[in-house]
Amino acid sequence: MADEPRDLPPVPPVVAAEQLATEGQVAIGTPPTGIPGQERSERVRRVIVYVLLFFVALLFFIPFFWSVTTSLKTLPESVGFDLLPDDPSIRAYSQAFSAYDFNRYFLNSVFLAALVTTSTLFLASLGGYAFARLKFPGREVLFMLVLGTLMIPNELRLVPVFQMLIDFPIVHVQLLGTYQGYFLINLVTATSLFLMRQYFLTIPKDYEEAAKLDGAGYFKTYWRVMLPLAGPALAAVTILTFQGTWNDFFWPLIIFLGDETKYTLPLGIFQFRTQFYTQWPELMAASVIAIVPIALIYVFFQRYFVAGVTAAGVKG
Amino acid sequence: VATSAKTRGTTLGRESVREASVGYAFVALPIASFLIFFMYPLGYAIYISFFEWGALGKIDSVGIGNYRDIFDDFLFGRALKNTLYYAAIVVPAQMALGLSLAVIVNQALRFRTFFRAAFYFPSVAGSIAITAVAAYILSADGILNAGISAVTGSEYNDPWFGQSDTALESIMALNVWTTSGTMMLFYLASLQSIPTDVYEAAAIDGAGSWRTFWKITFPLLKPGHFFVAVVSVIGALQVFDQAFFVSAGSGGPNYSTMTIVLYLYNTAIEGVRFGYASAIGIILFAIIFTLTLIQRLLFGRAEVA
Repeated sequence: MADEPRDLPPVPPVVAAEQLATEGQVAIGTPPTGIPGQERSERVRRVIVYVLLFFVALLFFIPFFWSVTTSLKTLPESVGFDLLPDDPSIRAYSQAFSAYDFNRYFLNSVFLAALVTTSTLFLASLGGYAFARLKFPGREVLFMLVLGTLMIPNELRLVPVFQMLIDFPIVHVQLLGTYQGYFLINLVTATSLFLMRQYFLTIPKDYEEAAKLDGAGYFKTYWRVMLPLAGPALAAVTILTFQGTWNDFFWPLIIFLGDETKYTLPLGIFQFRTQFYTQWPELMAASVIAIVPIALIYVFFQRYFVAGVTAAGVKG
Repeated sequence: VATSAKTRGTTLGRESVREASVGYAFVALPIASFLIFFMYPLGYAIYISFFEWGALGKIDSVGIGNYRDIFDDFLFGRALKNTLYYAAIVVPAQMALGLSLAVIVNQALRFRTFFRAAFYFPSVAGSIAITAVAAYILSADGILNAGISAVTGSEYNDPWFGQSDTALESIMALNVWTTSGTMMLFYLASLQSIPTDVYEAAAIDGAGSWRTFWKITFPLLKPGHFFVAVVSVIGALQVFDQAFFVSAGSGGPNYSTMTIVLYLYNTAIEGVRFGYASAIGIILFAIIFTLTLIQRLLFGRAEVA
């Protein structure tokens, strides 16, 4: 996809002209090269461009850098302009973890993100395989339904889903304030299913036919043949879903507000901010705790982020 | 021969029935989930938007009363104005920044992967964690004010998120910064779909890089512009997390950070006016739906993927 460094293919006429120019057989109309100073000014220009680029990149990083250094400061230090703490300490982290329950929020975030990612991976790939390969009446209509859900914004679902979770129709169970409620409304996303289907469509059918000749059933074909071939798509879905759940604020706010034992990191950070307005080192420590896991995943699996985001773009 | 053909026919028939039932089984859970948590809510929201609807259910049938009330609702007007103002600034800024970054990392640069990673990084971090960082930097005694004080020589300590004439603008700046990396990725995909021979032609004609960009690249990016614009507008219309965080849900100070979705949330969860909140949701949905539809009709879905 778009993430591998792509060397521009050599342009034959230009290459030829350059060769001619450097080898001395200057063709008529070819601008002469080797004007004194030109090479140097070109080099200077490149250096300026790189310096500018690093400066812009730095601007993108500085806020994060500052949040990390502040989390290692004391409160009086945190209000100054000093970048680095005089006496760095992890006091804010131990405070966040022991006094303010951020360990609980962290575990809740890990638990929910892992759960939702697992179910999304399984259901999206299974459904994607069926939509890509199996023939059944109404398949196109059902797939249109999948795509249709992409157009329904969260805000519109707020009231109906909220009411459903308070008193689930027919079975009359209250799911508001429970992990189950959050899990249930996030079983699988249309984006992931769409992404998996598109990927399965690009896999040659020969593999399945070989499996079929060996007498493998549909589930075995999916599990043993298709899944191992779908690595990049599965990675993209994993990252997209994990990141989405980890960073989600809207649904945890609606489902868990008021019950601190269920708070995820974003909700914990919000509550901390409203209660302890300017405890900056602790607030920054909490933010760092929320950002670092995703940042690490990003550093190691960058190319799948690109694939996932570009595919999720169809969501709009 | 006849018997064997007949047996073959029935096994084939049985096989396709089996295939179909396996197919239904495999898509059953996703489809059920989409029906229950997306399609049913859509129908339900449309239905109750014609009622005055409270915590215990139906109170009164009001027809299009909710929709009519919305247009006389001072707070909704304020939320709509704020949201449109927000979109009018954020969308062009995001597009311009996203395109600039994409053009930069699309060059044959050293450290290209590093630059792309750096520019995309803010898009990876969660909205709440990043807004907390911004709340620190933009606080009354934060670094930004310290910097301004140092440069101007006079003490400056206004809380950027805490006063009504800078709160929304600060959220705009924050979100332009955090989402420009995503826009960059979309533009990058679009840039790389431009065939290289048009650049070759331009190079032969002796066009400089600035001219090549404005005369060739920019017009050829038209589908990309449209795609990014729609994604950006839809995102801007749904702004919620940052406004909720900085105002602790109130939309303050003085309603300066009240957005449509924040108002919808407050109407539904705090006010328990489910019918009215649903009507607001339907209006927002209608706008987003129209935008998405235009995008799909004009460009199809393969445009960026």
